[in-house]
Amino acid sequence: MRKELEAQLAAQLRDEVVCVEKTDQRTIFIDVKREAIRRAARIVTEAGGRYMCGVGYDNIARDGTLGMVHTFSMDRNDHFICVRTKVPAIDPVMESITPDLPSAGWSEREFMDMLGMQFTNHPKPKRLVLADDWPAGIYPLRKEVPYDLVPPGADDVAYQLDEAPPGTKIVPIGPFHPSLHEPEHFAVYVDGETIKGCDYRGFMTHRGIEKLCQTQVSYNEVPFIAERICGICGSVHATAFSQAVESAGGIKIPRRAEYIRTLMLEIERIHSHLLWLGVAGHLIGFDTVFMQAWRVREQLMWLCERLTGNRKTYGMVLIGGVRRDITPEIADDIRAVVKKIEEELRVIHRAIEKDSSIHKRTKGVGTITKEETIAWGLIGPVARARGVDIDARRDHPYAAYNDMKFDVPVLTDCDVWSTLVVRVLETYEAIRIIHQVLDKMPAGPIFVELKDKIPALRHAITTVEAPRGESTHYVITGEDNRPDRWRVRAPTYTNLQAVPLMLLNEQFGDFPIIMGSIDPCFSCTDRVAVIDLQSGKASSMTRRELEFLSREQLHRA
Amino acid sequence: MWLTSKIKQILMVMKPGIVTLDYPRQPAPAPATFRGQPVWDHHKCLGCGGCANHCPARCILTRDVCQELRVMLYDGSRCTYCGRCADVCPEEAITMSNNFQTACDDKNDITTRLELFMLTCQRCGRCYEMEKTNVIDRMELRGFRYDNLESRALIRQTTDTFSPETLAATEQYQRPSR
Repeated sequence: MRKELEAQLAAQLRDEVVCVEKTDQRTIFIDVKREAIRRAARIVTEAGGRYMCGVGYDNIARDGTLGMVHTFSMDRNDHFICVRTKVPAIDPVMESITPDLPSAGWSEREFMDMLGMQFTNHPKPKRLVLADDWPAGIYPLRKEVPYDLVPPGADDVAYQLDEAPPGTKIVPIGPFHPSLHEPEHFAVYVDGETIKGCDYRGFMTHRGIEKLCQTQVSYNEVPFIAERICGICGSVHATAFSQAVESAGGIKIPRRAEYIRTLMLEIERIHSHLLWLGVAGHLIGFDTVFMQAWRVREQLMWLCERLTGNRKTYGMVLIGGVRRDITPEIADDIRAVVKKIEEELRVIHRAIEKDSSIHKRTKGVGTITKEETIAWGLIGPVARARGVDIDARRDHPYAAYNDMKFDVPVLTDCDVWSTLVVRVLETYEAIRIIHQVLDKMPAGPIFVELKDKIPALRHAITTVEAPRGESTHYVITGEDNRPDRWRVRAPTYTNLQAVPLMLLNEQFGDFPIIMGSIDPCFSCTDRVAVIDLQSGKASSMTRRELEFLSREQLHRA
Repeated sequence: MWLTSKIKQILMVMKPGIVTLDYPRQPAPAPATFRGQPVWDHHKCLGCGGCANHCPARCILTRDVCQELRVMLYDGSRCTYCGRCADVCPEEAITMSNNFQTACDDKNDITTRLELFMLTCQRCGRCYEMEKTNVIDRMELRGFRYDNLESRALIRQTTDTFSPETLAATEQYQRPSR
């Protein structure tokens, strides 16, 4: 595989390939000159690569360059391919790969904002991450910018929406909207009731967790912060970060710890899918499903409280292993609870599977074809409901998944209903995996002491299959007992980019459920901790006062 | 099909009935393994500062007031209850209690302050010197941190040096009342 690709690259790019490096069984790094980045990306895509994410990093202090990595996954033969290039910081221009790979659009826009890179021929070079009033010329991910920089705000700037197609009206949804749950802004262009397009402005809760972890904390504090990226799939982010650092530092963790990580990830999948089922019911106005799914879920939350010490944010994963062991008593407890959940979920499943009122709201809604799904690089249940058979647990096994037997449910109806069915079926599979984990779990230690320093400037990439799709983490190790660069690509980051496509020519009333069908997690996408603002008398305050008040609340908290 | 589904749904709802707990009238205690509010045992604490060094939320702060007196301060308003401090404590002076009802109107109610009398090093005493060159301060430069009480207040403007005026402004800020 590697040889073939290398030969292809060498034949087509000749001396523009700088070097090919293979760090472990799975990962291949290809360094190319910046002129060749688009052609290299095209060759990797043609060889079967699925675009995962772009990673930009600041290397100015070492050789005056900014680095850019485009990462690809070869799902059929378990390889990650990272195409690396670098551009001088004084002239950070390279060719955009977005015209070939639409899912790279956000990654490139992110590093235009955060590192000041420029991509020629990018179809939509607008701001993505930074606030509209952030001053031009300050690139927060560059090392010279302090992590707590607060530039003065401005009131007179606003995001320029895309031009509305002729004959349409704009309906704003968000930043605060009952169907969104988190602050994001959609401008939906409608012709009557039919959606003709949509523009997205998000990242309103971006708080720079990556910058914080690159400058302030040490390696084994990051898992706790990573866990707070997302309120639902926290363990996924902690595991992915830990695996990336372990992979970069060559740390081998005990097998029992890997089994416990698998257990936590599957428990998380059950509770996330049950949560989603409830929310989906709520979004189509069927609150019976909402109440019952969350009732079933609650016993799992209590189980986690007994198991890890908390309902959510388990705090189980550290670099080097896990923190709490599974005793035989707690194992019996887990078995009993998941058995009960399976029984109760089957009752819900039977009660809704033939309900024609749910079918009317979900069947044939949010349809995109399999080809479009592959072109946009969609992942997780959203892709599996559209006939794309990918699952990081099976394709790139991590933790103890290579010992587990499970099916990956794939449906071909391409609509919201099939994402619902995929998620319910996956929940049964997760319960199956939990029983296997408990039966096969080997004895032994759960944590390995880190004896040596983690070497600096090693690159590593891992994916973990979160309930919503794969989470990709890219780590460059650093010198000060903390990562030099840590990039988180949550599943919603990819799936959200294709939502305008799913919405096209749908009814406006179906917006909430189409949006909900990707199980959007905006806080993952923004990489933030969610902060509840104290309700104030907003009407009598100016924006500045309100902002100051909310910042003060933040400081108190 | 619609009717049979509705009948199944009615049965699904009828069987469990009402499950809402009568909290807070009926207390719902957390399990024994719960990670709640951490409790310090000042008899056991050595003042090593290991907890302060590992706290991801930076809510445990250490400061040497003079050679013999070290203040350890736990600021519960910022705690994320990860329990890492209890993990790393060499003397097991920190336990995670199962108290989760920590809402209060004054943050001092959930702040713990220990004043520990430290022995001076018989050899030179320099470790406890209050200057920037001592060993403990140097730990800060190598990826270890050694927080102080000043950095406790987050200051809105970015400053290169610590400014007492901004701290005072932040500390004395009064929330506007209705």
